[in-house]
Amino acid sequence: MPWQTQDFAGNTAPMRLRESPLGLALRRVLRKRSSRVAFFVLGVILLMGLLAPLIAPYDPAAQPDIVFLKSLPPSFAHPFGTDPYSRDVLSRVIYGARLSLMIGVLATIVSLTFGVAYGAIAGYAGGALDAVMMRVLDAFLSIPRLLLLIGVLVAWPRYSVGALVLFLGLTGWFGLSRIVRGQVLALKHAEFVTAAQALGASRRRILWRHLLPNLVSPIVVAATLGVAHVIVLEAGLAYLGIGVPSPSASWGNIIYDGADQPATLWWMSLFPGLFMVLTVMTLNILAEALSEAHERR
Amino acid sequence: MNGTEPLVSVRNLKKEFPIRKGVLSRQVGAVKAVNDVSFDVARGETLGVVGESGCGKTTTGRAILRLIEPTSGEISFEGRDVRSMGTSELRALRREMQIIFQDPVSSLNPRMSIGAIIREGLTIHKLAEGAAADARVSQLLQEVGLRPEYSNRYPHEFSGGQRQRIGIARALSVEPKFIVCDEPVSALDVSVQAQVINLLEDLQRDHDLTYMFIAHDLSVVEHIADRVAVMYLGKIVELATADDLYREPLMPYTQALLSAVPVADPKARKERILLQGDVPSPANPPSGCVFHPRCHHPAKDAACAAIVPPLEEKTPGHFVACIKQPPTTVSWEQQKEAGGVHPPERYLPLAAVHA
Amino acid sequence: MTTPLLSIRDLRTWFYTESGVARAVDGVSFDIGAGETLGLVGESGSGKSVTALSILRLIQPPGRIESGSVIEFDGKDIVTLGDAEIRNIRGNRISMIFQEPMSALNPVFTVGDQVAEVARVHAGVSRKEAWDRAVEMLALTGIPDAESRAKQYPHQLSGGMRQRVLIAMALMMKPALVIADEPTTALDVTIQAQILDLLVDLQKKIGTSILMITHDLGVIAETASRVIVMYAGEVVEQAEVDSLFAKPHHPYTEGLMHSMPHIGHDQERLNVIPGTVPAPTEWPSGCRFRERCPYSWDRCETEHPPLYQIGEDHVSRCHLAIEPERRNHPHPPVVVEAGVAAA
Repeated sequence: MPWQTQDFAGNTAPMRLRESPLGLALRRVLRKRSSRVAFFVLGVILLMGLLAPLIAPYDPAAQPDIVFLKSLPPSFAHPFGTDPYSRDVLSRVIYGARLSLMIGVLATIVSLTFGVAYGAIAGYAGGALDAVMMRVLDAFLSIPRLLLLIGVLVAWPRYSVGALVLFLGLTGWFGLSRIVRGQVLALKHAEFVTAAQALGASRRRILWRHLLPNLVSPIVVAATLGVAHVIVLEAGLAYLGIGVPSPSASWGNIIYDGADQPATLWWMSLFPGLFMVLTVMTLNILAEALSEAHERR
Repeated sequence: MNGTEPLVSVRNLKKEFPIRKGVLSRQVGAVKAVNDVSFDVARGETLGVVGESGCGKTTTGRAILRLIEPTSGEISFEGRDVRSMGTSELRALRREMQIIFQDPVSSLNPRMSIGAIIREGLTIHKLAEGAAADARVSQLLQEVGLRPEYSNRYPHEFSGGQRQRIGIARALSVEPKFIVCDEPVSALDVSVQAQVINLLEDLQRDHDLTYMFIAHDLSVVEHIADRVAVMYLGKIVELATADDLYREPLMPYTQALLSAVPVADPKARKERILLQGDVPSPANPPSGCVFHPRCHHPAKDAACAAIVPPLEEKTPGHFVACIKQPPTTVSWEQQKEAGGVHPPERYLPLAAVHA
Repeated sequence: MTTPLLSIRDLRTWFYTESGVARAVDGVSFDIGAGETLGLVGESGSGKSVTALSILRLIQPPGRIESGSVIEFDGKDIVTLGDAEIRNIRGNRISMIFQEPMSALNPVFTVGDQVAEVARVHAGVSRKEAWDRAVEMLALTGIPDAESRAKQYPHQLSGGMRQRVLIAMALMMKPALVIADEPTTALDVTIQAQILDLLVDLQKKIGTSILMITHDLGVIAETASRVIVMYAGEVVEQAEVDSLFAKPHHPYTEGLMHSMPHIGHDQERLNVIPGTVPAPTEWPSGCRFRERCPYSWDRCETEHPPLYQIGEDHVSRCHLAIEPERRNHPHPPVVVEAGVAAA
């Protein structure tokens, strides 16, 4: 009888190149032309910020000649013009990339930490604790972020960049914690979690080793969008005069400095605005691609 | 079966799920998923548990492991009381009692490499670390028929049958004595089922394992099990050796179940016992014998709706919960009092028997 | 057979995925006669479900019907029909019963409405008339108290009931062909028995043909008169049901039959088909089953076997048809030799 009881019947043909879930997602994202372009542009802007001291033609805080060099339109010597304090706008935009991106990333890190922790604990604990935590969250969510920020920053006499980052971060985690909680609630009942329990895993182990890694996708997407959001928010605050304290160069500040005469000093809104739009757009494109890559498992 | 003391002993196990309604989630009823179940599993044997959806077999398996907390009843493992164990004692017990799941897709963490999945048990119980752990993982992979070089791959790169093997390796990693196999081959293709079943049998022999094999496929259970328990609506209605059950099914439900299995032989067009209607809801089980509304036993009468039949031994080692199959401890007088009109008589339709 | 109801010739349905082109159905041909039950057997990856969906042109991108024809008894080719014409066929002349009754039914409409809709769309009758017909059909499928059941929603019915509803929908217009795609796989075995019984019964009453797609050989033995076995996107064997079970020719069919545990046949160990189905993006050269076959020899690697005629109504895609003596020299399959884990 040829159909004897063969023992080995598992993995046979050599498998293709290894594909970790992360690698798979990345591959899918980079497959789209729009993502590749977005990646590239974002990379350039990031590089710009990182290498600011090396590539900025002038010192962004220097005010060389407040009489003759002030408010000059773009020229060969000053490709982005100068501002009312005779500072070179190009250099300020380059340093602006550094500052705005840094604020965006750091504030988002703060938001992520709080949001993920809050959402994961509520979702995993469930029951009464979850109910209480969600009602508290609802209270927070009912306050508009911008108003809250304005209220705090106006009242605070002098705040550092660090404090601004903290405020931005602390006001931006509510939505994320909702998302995380939802995911944790769903994952809690996944069979591989039961399997881990059957092995004797502690609740802490399950949270860190099983639940959180499966939250990476929605967290990354939310984080990307979060950075974009903070950049815009900071610019908005700067426009209201409560952005990054002067004389630091953030994109928002540059716009603020030229806000009195937006038509005449058009280069002061155009260039930082352009970079902002580019950054936010590319971040959004990447977030969308990442979220699609996650969907199509 | 060696030794006289059973490895696992279950007595009067019950699990109820509350049904809540209304804004304040008041409890209005309960789904009696497991309703007074008792049995033993001897060391080295395979106890098959069959039944259709809603019969409570999966809940029973998980309750024994306390992955679901039982509502009441006793569970003992090697004589020790499982229900009263504290966290650390229970964790130590997890080394000895393991489980294999039905769905090869959802039972493996998609974000962990299969090597990490198998290594987890070793880490939790501090059985091995570093290179020693890697060696053990390789050994386990080989044992279940997979190439050890692929231990850094992810579950989605494997087929259903292969994933099931990974799940088996994970269960084996802690060197258990008892494994609850919860429909381990139901989600697999027929040709792959045979591979996994053979593997489970080999492993049982090599590692002296005891299985509780839960399934709805009767042919698979007959092949692998020593004894079989048939469940219906949370109760065990028949318990016998595999041979006895398939040659002489006494519980009318078992008879219907066996006759319903399609036979892969076009010439064997057999008569079939067709059950009327659907399985009743476990939230609202029928009174008396839970099977009586659909029963085809010729002596069925009002007594069946009034008396809850005890699971009693009809022939040595063969337990049946039916007051109409003699011998029975529920006397004819008692039955008449409850409205019975037909005395018990032995009924074994040909259609139920697989020669 | 006399003019077949449906004639499928050289059907190829391919899926253009990111990992390559998956040739799920790769050159399938068969006929379905009037009033017969044709069984289509295969496991996952065989292409049987995709074949069924292709017949009704229900393939969505990234899949498409590459080539081939599905000729109806009045001569038209379904593959090339326009949208309006194909909609006229679906549910009307050819209907389908799916595996998962819950996903096939719309949760926000009553079951009566959904069955009645078939009549409203295809027969153009009034709401009242359609409803009456629906209740009649539901009663015919054995649903007790059909009048009030028709007013219920899918989630209020059990799995078996929902499948009866799907059957009622499929048979409303008394179609010439019903494609049943694993109609009982998701059901309990006692309910499965009821449903199979019902299908056989209704078929006799209405005279429709059934294409019964399943992986369960037991179901095939009980319901089908002719059987087609699919593997790796192709038909590998086709025969009358008695011949297939008595003398399976293709090694895959043989292996399948031997790997099933049978109640009453005591076996020490189950026989096994080693290895796994190859990926549809990379069908092996020559015979697609050769790596798992205990009889294969060099011809099997180089020559893709055609469907050989081996009996009056029996064809098999295997070179054993022309070199039958090879069956006496089985060897460990290629896959086992290659796959033995190094110590």
